[in-house]
Amino acid sequence: MTPKTLTLQDLLRTDFAPGGGTQEYFVNMGPQHPATHGVLRLLLKLDGETLRQVIPVLGYIHRGIEKICEHQTYRQIVHLSDRLDYLSALANNWCVTRVVERAAGIETNERIETIRTLMAELERLQSHTLWWGVFGMDLGAFTPFLHGFRDREELTQIFEDTIGARLTMNYIQPGGLLHDLHKDFAPRVRAWLKDFGTKVDEYDRMLSGNLIAQKRLVDIGALSGDEALGLGATGPVLRASGVPWDLRRVRPYGVYDQLDFVVPVGEKGDCWDRYWVRIEEMRQSLALCETLIENIPEGKTMLVKPAAKIRLPEGTFYEELETPRGIFGVHLHSRGKDMPWRFHFRSPNLHNLWCITKIAPGARVADIVAMLAGLDLIVPDMDR
Amino acid sequence: MKAAWITTALLALHSLSAARDWTQPTLAERAAEAAGRSPWESAFWIGLGLAGTLAAMTLLGLSLVYAERKIAARFQCRLGPTRVGWRGTLQTLADTFKLISKADLVPRDADRLLFFTAPWLVVSGMLLALVNIPASPLLFVVDLNIGLLFISAVGALSVLGILLGGWASNNKWSLLGSMRAGAQIISYELSLTLSLLVIVLFTGSLSLGEIVQSQQEGWWLWRGHLPAMVAFLVFVIASTAELNRTPFDLAEGESELTAGFHTEYSGLRFALFYLAEFLNMFIAAGLAATLFLGGWMPLHIAGLQTFNRVMDFIPPLVWFGLKTGGLIFVFMWLRWTFPRLRIDQLLKLEWRFLLPLSMVNLLVAALVLLLGVYGKGGPA
Amino acid sequence: MSWIRLQPQKPGPRRIGGIELQTVSAPRPDSDSLWKVALGGLKGMLGGMKLTLGYVTHPSKVVTQQYPENRETLKLPERARGRLYFVKEENGFHRCTACRICERACPNESIIIHAHKGEVTKKPEIDHYVWRLDTCTFCYACVQTCPFDAIRFDGRFESAVYDRRLLVYNLNDYAGPHDTLARKIEDEEQRASCRTPVRPYEGPVPASGEKLHGIEPLGPPRGEDE
Repeated sequence: MTPKTLTLQDLLRTDFAPGGGTQEYFVNMGPQHPATHGVLRLLLKLDGETLRQVIPVLGYIHRGIEKICEHQTYRQIVHLSDRLDYLSALANNWCVTRVVERAAGIETNERIETIRTLMAELERLQSHTLWWGVFGMDLGAFTPFLHGFRDREELTQIFEDTIGARLTMNYIQPGGLLHDLHKDFAPRVRAWLKDFGTKVDEYDRMLSGNLIAQKRLVDIGALSGDEALGLGATGPVLRASGVPWDLRRVRPYGVYDQLDFVVPVGEKGDCWDRYWVRIEEMRQSLALCETLIENIPEGKTMLVKPAAKIRLPEGTFYEELETPRGIFGVHLHSRGKDMPWRFHFRSPNLHNLWCITKIAPGARVADIVAMLAGLDLIVPDMDR
Repeated sequence: MKAAWITTALLALHSLSAARDWTQPTLAERAAEAAGRSPWESAFWIGLGLAGTLAAMTLLGLSLVYAERKIAARFQCRLGPTRVGWRGTLQTLADTFKLISKADLVPRDADRLLFFTAPWLVVSGMLLALVNIPASPLLFVVDLNIGLLFISAVGALSVLGILLGGWASNNKWSLLGSMRAGAQIISYELSLTLSLLVIVLFTGSLSLGEIVQSQQEGWWLWRGHLPAMVAFLVFVIASTAELNRTPFDLAEGESELTAGFHTEYSGLRFALFYLAEFLNMFIAAGLAATLFLGGWMPLHIAGLQTFNRVMDFIPPLVWFGLKTGGLIFVFMWLRWTFPRLRIDQLLKLEWRFLLPLSMVNLLVAALVLLLGVYGKGGPA
Repeated sequence: MSWIRLQPQKPGPRRIGGIELQTVSAPRPDSDSLWKVALGGLKGMLGGMKLTLGYVTHPSKVVTQQYPENRETLKLPERARGRLYFVKEENGFHRCTACRICERACPNESIIIHAHKGEVTKKPEIDHYVWRLDTCTFCYACVQTCPFDAIRFDGRFESAVYDRRLLVYNLNDYAGPHDTLARKIEDEEQRASCRTPVRPYEGPVPASGEKLHGIEPLGPPRGEDE
């Protein structure tokens, strides 16, 4: 017997609740909605305030980046990866760079790898700071939003000093880095890290320690480790479900193998665990940055001539690394030209998004917002 | 007429100076008293009351919105409005003009009659409550002998307006918001009223004028011992919920329901909702100040004669303003610190915690009254 | 202190995929009793209120920048990618040799170079160096690859205009040879007259309203001119 295929009619059918006599109804959450942070559209099937089903609808910001990549040289692809998950642009740059460097056999030096690691960790802090602010706003507290942005802004300015851009970095490139570090970089980062240590404690006092926030998060949207693995969730979402899968420890890249840090995991995989895992990751990253900023070796920062053409040998290559939101992978198929024949991004947010279909049914409208905030979704990364 | 003007000027001066005579007739009483004598004078007092209320409404609306924006900005390391007028003081006025001049949008499938009625219903409920607030012995429009009951009754009009607005918008988000508001306001009305009853027990009167008079010896917050303090706390929490302000702003729930019941409202009608929201905050704070903090009565501490004399020289209007302003700041403080509750938590808080608490509190208050241990000690 | 104590729990190694790594676990609420919730919660909430009150009472913590007023002091860092410009020598000559490396490096054809072979110098000379700010993604590839340091980015960021046609710039202010070539021209008169002025919004891709209608293709396709 062939399994029944689910048609659109099945999906969009509303039923009377058994016995209760109330009728289900559909509400569109998005593509313009304050809580979806972009153009994500969720079709919610509700019974009163209780959620019966979530149907994510994608495609509102599809730009065909993977197709564009087939007509870009390997250098040019790097700047397109900024535009996926714009809050982890450096990590995305690094992933493209890693796959190209491995395929082309480009060796880098210790300085380049250290700076890359440092930048990726700083960006993790930058991204989590923004996430924290937005998380607060989604729970209804507006003040964390601006406090998060305030702390992020200083780091953004540090990036701007060295990189020249605030969001779309294009900094980590095959063969090295776009610029060497700015002369003010180390002192400014040190000062910021020192200041940020107190700011994380403030985050705890303002939101983590708040009873309303805790009550809103505990036991909401529990996702077991097996379910998370089954849905392909990665990053803090997976770790909150109790699976300590952190590529920085499991398959170290950069200089992570020389660094010592602890992987925070959750127990139940509920919103509170996801929240706490990210807060603790901020503390761990802070310590990592403090170590890294004191240990940047000397050396060149660009080993390949910027205008030189990079040709990859024929074959299929895959590399992945840990962005602030999970595992970002680049899969490329080369036919020996200076442009890829097929290019694919494995983006963490697309996989994390589908967790909502698992954890949302039975919750309330307000919980959906908390869950979305806990999954920390970036919409351009899903649609590409 | 001339005499009336001179009286007004003198009264205004008097209200600004230290008025130790706390038994002035209200404007309504003046009008009633003058009715048989001279219809013109009676009309003058009524007109003064009306104009005063409308002016107070406008001024309070503008200044409260401005204050909220400035204070919220400071909570968030910002400056707030700085451009229009001195330090942005005219910003709210400019925004009002902008809102009034906006296109009058009505959703196609909206229930037009209800859609138009809803904001006016909310505003009229607010206005009816506003005239009862005793701001000073002279700025007291009407002193009903059932004042408290009347305020709680017309306060419920706002629920009706919100429900109508959400229903008439023909938008599911609006409907969700208004249903939440209905459940929330009706629930919290209970503990709100129970906490008011504590003071009614102590004073034996529902008239706000008499409640203020009864605090000449000391504020109920202290004179009423524990029950009054508990009632005050319950009142602050429940009125925050009544006002739909964070942490109880589920009816608007910006990040959940886009804008809740007023999602489809724009322009003047949105401005009315907004105005009513802020003035209701003033009414709640004013009521709390009147019931628990002595209204326009100055702060007296038994035994400190000089201190009390100095306190007397501060005009009653300033006292009322300070107390109300302090409470409004607390409302804002809560709003800009806390996240929002979920609907089931909100109802749980009321039915499982606040309602039993305020019921027990009422019994304790009755006990205190029976034993006659209230009314002594504390700042008087 | 709050209902959930915010301390990491159960530090210790965990195994995954044959690898052992150090983990800490998230704190969980240890009690659901009303008193614990109410007392712990009250403490936590009062802590938060104290924190926010601290911000109200400390005006020095305001971080707002008064933007249009602080134009004088608001300078973006030197590496900021704001607006592309031609580097000019002291004698007014630019450095661009029309080698087209930047044009090739540009990922989205935001740079279009129109050049001709100079009559005197017998080398390519720039007619129009067209930079389309409207399609530029500020990836820095052009500046990075330029072998002559002829173009650079500066921190001008107020590039907004009401007509997107004004976002098509001519970077060169004259059509003619670059500095090194110009030095080789021995005839003083010839050297002085080898430059034809070009205005920023004028060229084969004119920004004047009549000729360019927003999305009209910019000049002939690549590889077909010359």
